[in-house]
Order: sequence, then C-alpha cells, then structure tokens
Amino acid sequence: MLRLRFALFVAVALVGGLLSFGAAQSARQQTLVIGGDWTDLITLDPGVAYEFSPVPILDNTYQRLVQFPGTDLSHVVPDAATSWDIASTPDGGTTITFHLADATFSTGRPLTAQDVVWSFDRVIHINGPSAFLFTDVAGLKVGSTKALDDKTVQLTLPKGVNPQIVLAMLTFNIGGIMDATEVQKHIQGNDYGQHWLNDHSAGSGPYMLDRWDRGSQVVLVTNPKYPNPPSIKRVILRYMQESNAQRAALTSGEIDIAYNFTPDAFKQAEQNPDLKTYKTGTFVMQYLGMNSGPGAPFADNRVRDAVRYAIDQDGIISNLLGGLGRKMQTIIPYGLLGADTTVYYQHDIEKAKQLMAEAGKAGGMQVEFLIPTGACGGGVPCADLAATVQSDLAKIGITANIKQTTSAQLYTIYRQQAAQLVLAQWSPDYPDPNGNASPLADFNAKSLAWRNVWNDPHATQLVNEAATSTDPAQRKAIYAQLTKYVAQNGPFAILYQPVYPIVSTAKVDGFARSAQGDVDYTAITKQP
Amino acid sequence: MLAFLLRRLGYLVFVIWGVGFAAFFISHVVPTDPAAAALGSNARPAQIQAYRHKYGLDRPVYQQYVRYMVDLFRGDLGNSLRTQRPILSDLRDFFPATFELTLGAMIFAVFLGVPIGVLAALYQDRPTDLVVRTLALVGGATPVYWLAILALELFHSRLGWLPGPGELSPYLIEPHRVTGMMVVDSAIAGNWPDFVSSLRHLILPAAVLGAFSTALLARMVRSAMLEVLSQDYVRTARAKGLAGRVVVLKHAMRNAALPVLTVMGSLLGSLLTGAVLTETIFSWPGIGSYATSSAINLDFPAVMGVTLVAGLAYSLINLLVDVLYGVFDPRITYA
Repeated sequence: MLRLRFALFVAVALVGGLLSFGAAQSARQQTLVIGGDWTDLITLDPGVAYEFSPVPILDNTYQRLVQFPGTDLSHVVPDAATSWDIASTPDGGTTITFHLADATFSTGRPLTAQDVVWSFDRVIHINGPSAFLFTDVAGLKVGSTKALDDKTVQLTLPKGVNPQIVLAMLTFNIGGIMDATEVQKHIQGNDYGQHWLNDHSAGSGPYMLDRWDRGSQVVLVTNPKYPNPPSIKRVILRYMQESNAQRAALTSGEIDIAYNFTPDAFKQAEQNPDLKTYKTGTFVMQYLGMNSGPGAPFADNRVRDAVRYAIDQDGIISNLLGGLGRKMQTIIPYGLLGADTTVYYQHDIEKAKQLMAEAGKAGGMQVEFLIPTGACGGGVPCADLAATVQSDLAKIGITANIKQTTSAQLYTIYRQQAAQLVLAQWSPDYPDPNGNASPLADFNAKSLAWRNVWNDPHATQLVNEAATSTDPAQRKAIYAQLTKYVAQNGPFAILYQPVYPIVSTAKVDGFARSAQGDVDYTAITKQP
Repeated sequence: MLAFLLRRLGYLVFVIWGVGFAAFFISHVVPTDPAAAALGSNARPAQIQAYRHKYGLDRPVYQQYVRYMVDLFRGDLGNSLRTQRPILSDLRDFFPATFELTLGAMIFAVFLGVPIGVLAALYQDRPTDLVVRTLALVGGATPVYWLAILALELFHSRLGWLPGPGELSPYLIEPHRVTGMMVVDSAIAGNWPDFVSSLRHLILPAAVLGAFSTALLARMVRSAMLEVLSQDYVRTARAKGLAGRVVVLKHAMRNAALPVLTVMGSLLGSLLTGAVLTETIFSWPGIGSYATSSAINLDFPAVMGVTLVAGLAYSLINLLVDVLYGVFDPRITYA
C-alpha cells in the first residue's frame, strides 16, 4: 500500500513538473525579449515622442491613418484608414479625405473620426518637440482636421504643402490615434494626459503598454481587442547599454534580439550558427561638414572637391565598418524617392592634390576637426573614423587637428556656424526626400547648409520646386538635378550610409526593421 | 551625544550646500548648451530658444542659482530636462536599486574580506597569508568595468552559473513595488521564483562592485589584527588559558574593528561611485545608470540631484561611523 502511494506521488509530481515545464516553455515562446540601449526614452506619448527608441513601441500600440508596408518606405498603404482622396481647394491648397476602417481601441471603444481630430489637435496644443512636423511642415492648425462623420476625417492643407509629404509624415508616431474619451479622463492640469500616457496606452494597435520601469524595461502585452492575435504575447524591451552585456545575454538565451552589437562582435555573430544577423536599413548619413563661408578654410569649392577625392570611402566601409555601411555621395539616402547612388568621386589622391594646388593651397593648410565622443554610424568609434579621415586628408596637405567633445557641445559650436570641419550624422525628420533636401541644401531652412555657411540660390530653388511638386516622377527628376548639384558644389563630403546591425538567436523568425526604426512585432515568431 | 549629533547635522547642511554650490557652478561653466543637448542634432534655432526660455536657461547664472537654492530649500530639486519629471521622482525610482546593489556589495565585502583578513593575520607570512595578500592586491588593482565584463563573460556566458544583466529574469512577472528593491519586494510578495531569480541576478554585480572593497577590507583587517594580536592584553588573555577562538573573536577582533569601521565608511562612498560603471555594464536600473545618461545628455538638474543625494548619503554614512565608534570603543565620548 505504501509503495503504491509512493508511486502515485512520484507520478503526480512528474506530471506536475512536466506540465509546469511545458507552461514555462510556452511562456518563453510567447515572450520576446529585446536588449538595447533605450536610454533615449523620455516619453511614450505618441504626440510628443521624438526619439528613436519609442518608434517601434508606439507603432505597435497606436494605429495611424496610413503606414509603410513593412520595410518598404517608398509608398504608403492603409492602416486605420482604408482609403483616402486628395482634392484641390479653391485657394490653391489641398484636402485629404480619409475613410476609416472598423477598429477598436484596447479600451473597448470604437475608433472614430472624432478621435483622429482630437489626437491631431492635441499635438498642436501640446507643441512638443515633434509638433513642428504638423505646424511647420504640414501647415496644420487647430481646426485643420475635421470629422465629416464618424468614419470620415478630412485634413485641409494650405497652399504650398505637398500632400505626399504629409502622408509620409502621418506614418510617424505623431500620427498615432488615441482614444480621446479615455485620455481625457486622465488629464492633469493642462497636460492633455501626457503624464498618464507614460504608463498606459490608449491605442488600437496589436499591443498595449503593460509597464515602463524607467531604466529597466518596457513591457508590451497583446491588445485583447485586436482582431488577429499575434503569436508573441509579451514584448519586453530590456535596457542594456553595454554591447558586451547584450552579447552575453544573447548567447545565454536570456534575450532574443540585441540592438547594439559592435562591428567586430557582429562579424563574429555572422559565423555563429546559433545566431541570426540582420543588416537593417537606416536613413542616417555620416558626413564631413565643411565650413564654406567667406574666409573659411573651405570657402573654395576646389578645396571641398579635393577633400571628396581624398577620402577613401571603400577603405572606411570595408576596414573600419566591416561592411556595415553603404557607399553614398549624395544627400538623398537609399530607400527614399530620388535616392541618387551615382559615384561622383573616385578615390584619387593625385587629383585631390592638383585641386589643392589650383586653389592656392599647395603648401597645405591646418583646420580644427570637431568630432563627437562615442560611436558613429555603424557602431564604429568616432575617434577611429576621425583618425582615418585625418590620415586621408594628411595625404593632400590638410592637417586636421582633432578636437573631441560630447555631441551636445559639438552641436552647440556647429549651430553657431563656428565649426571648420565637423564629423557628424544626419537623419531626416520624416521619411520623404524633402526631409533631407531642405535642411541640407536650403540655406534658409537654418539647418545643415546654414551651419556650414553654404548659401546657394540655385540649390534653394530646386529644393522648393521639388517640395511643392505633387507629381512623383517630376519630383524624382528635380531631385536628380539637386543631388548631383549638391554632391559637386555643396559643403559636404559624405562618408557612408550606415546599416544598423541587429543580432537575434536562431529561434527568432520574421524579424525585420525598417529604416525608420519600425518593427512589426506581430510578424515575429519564436521556435521552442 | 545629542549635542554632538545636532552639531554634526548642522555641519551637514554646510557640506550639502558646498556640494550643491560646486555642482551648480561646475555644470554651468561647461561650454555647452543643455537645450541643444535635450533637443538633439536636428533642432532648429527657434526651438532651442523657446526651450531655453521655458527652463530659465536664458537667465544670468546667479539668478538661476538663487532660484535653484530657493527651490532646494522647499525640497524641490527641479525637473529633469531629459525625462521632464521631477528629479525627486526619478531618484525615488532609481535609488532603491542602487541601495540594494551597494548593500549586496558591502555584505559580500564584509563576509569575505573580514574572515580572509583575519586568516591572513593568524597565518602571517605563511601560504594562506600570501594567497590573501595576492588576491587583495589583484582585487584592489583591477578596474571595475574590466572585472564586470570578465565576470559576465565567464560566469554567465561560458559557465552559465549565474544570470546575466538586469534585476530579474525577463520571463517572470515583477513583484508589486513596495521598497523598489527587487529582492526585498519579491520576499514581501512571497513570490519564491522572483526571490530566487532576483537574488541570483544580484550576486554577480554585487561581487564585482564589492571586489575592491573586499580587497581593501582584507588588507585593513589583516594589519589591524596583526597590531592587536601583538598587544599585551592579548598575550594576557592567552596566558589566562582562554581558547584561541575566544581570544581572536572576543578580544582581538573587537579592538581591530575600529580602523576597519573607518575604512568601511569611506568604502561605502566609493561603492556609490563604483556603482556608476557596474550599473551601466549590468544594466542595473539604479542612480548610476541614471547619472550616466543624465551626464551624457547634459541634464544638469539631474546631475546636480544625483550629486546632492550622493553627498548626503556619504555624509550620513560618515556620521553613522562616528557614532558607531562609541559602540565599539567605550573610551570614546561625544562632547
């Protein structure tokens, strides 16, 4: 009898153990843990956030009217809107009328046109760091967004604003639609619910915010009201600033995806059968800015040309970046309309020396070379990249004296037009060629062309023509002229367009990251 | 005793004022613009100007200082430029994790450093002593960030004995936040898997952070014990026929405790600063990580908040050490 009881006990314990092991396994399979440096997360309010880390979080929690299909950013497709019509107004402006799909917020309420109006007007009222996209770029005001009925919403754009640019911009988290009724319940003072939205979400996307433990993790769980439940039920973004820590945690299986591998570690990961590597796109441009103002070291375009001939881009990409970059010499990056991949400058030291001589600088010159601390595009230390550039320039008689500062200090100097030669990065504010063309080629935009004191009316004219043209083919043709012109006359020597290296365990399937930083968590599955 | 305490607390106010003054002016002579840092590289001049105005950064430094001090006396450390939250809320979120880690490191240092120091003294110039002295030398000379990466690689990646970065396994649900210390909170919640996981997560960073302190403590205990062991009263105790254990534990160690205590006080301070590196590598959500990201982003109010809290903690620890002197040595009186 005693023996029987013991056998029974062992059997029950075994079954219990197996069941709990099975449950733990299944929980692991349904949980995706992503390690990365998320320290730039300061808000999870889609109407305010303007950093890189919140992008995938907000894209998975809030629907927008339109979205980009996966990693293809050349055209928009429906999201909360099933279709839209663009029409001209008598005063030369345009309207975009969106017809909404049936969607339900995680709170259980249906998504209506009134929610869209409230969400968009809220962005303008708050006037956060990203609000200029609505107010300056799209020319929206309170009242520009109108609900024609529960399922139809209309945007009125002033004359000169290109609706194609606005559509591209609405894919960004600023276009996230929130449950107005819910958020209004949690307004404190005049914060429009900003405080509440840091720890809760009120969207209709496939996931909702479970918790944000500052400095530790952001946890998303599936939205029970979303029509197609995804395979991954819980997404955890774990703060891991150190790439070594990420590598260790990925190897042990504690995290599934790591966002910050160094080029060296990435190379090793490519050889490891237990890991998968992804070279995801970016719109980032790593470049040298050359002060071209009167009396500045690079005032003569022949000197700028000499720099462009002197830089060994292929050497930088293969030796320094380990292939984590694409060669590029123009101001519109791969992935956007009008991207120009022409190689205008082949590495040619003799030609560069000749140009220096023609500019009267045969005896060489000295410049201060401002560079940031930390990593540059593609994860390479900026100091290493600067040293390579320095040695390339030395070959043509330019002595670049490196001065390394924090990014914040660097941009303070750069913004005062006080940098002679600067190593910097740029990525567009919104995924449209105008997001690069205007700041880089139009002096009046008071951005990069201005910082490098390059005022060229022809470039400005081309920028404006392209910005207002609504015909994609015509825009493309104007951008072809503009990119060639700026490549050969502008104040930049573009070094490369980095790819963003990401590594996952071999168990992860379906991961893809767009150049904007979007990741569709619903497309991801995890093998046991 | 009370008069002593009050006087020391009075001094504390001056110390904190001094720390705050230094932190404020150092952060304001940095030739850069926190507004530009907060708004990023793409920000337009008008945006930067508006931001500077909103946070009073466009006012003269002395005005900013007066305003800061007035707010400080009201118990308001201001808002973080980066997180846009009150710094006190940020510190409340981040401090418990650092406290837990520092406490873990101190426990590690005391429970390892003191016994090996005693052993080294008892077996002076013998192999045990040599091993302890070598370990103490290596432990004291190894940079904490290097040790952290090495420990993570060996004990987590290669051997798999201990979990990796973070406070808790990501596959577990966090306990309800009571103290903010994961081990304590999971114990309060009676959540056994969380308790085990958080304790295991604490071991590696605490050991790494405590390595330097262990080494220093071992050396201090060794030399203090050597000195005490040669004293007359120890010889007398031995002559009385007392057991060796009683002589060491009751007579010698109590008297050797005083210099050790002094070292422990200053060690706690160094643990707080060491936590910056350890927390960054072990993804530990404490004020070290917070200070690092605040400093990188030129979030001056947050940096000043952290500095003040660290200064306060350091001063209070030193006060505690002074009070404990009397406990260990009744000859000391507080006038």
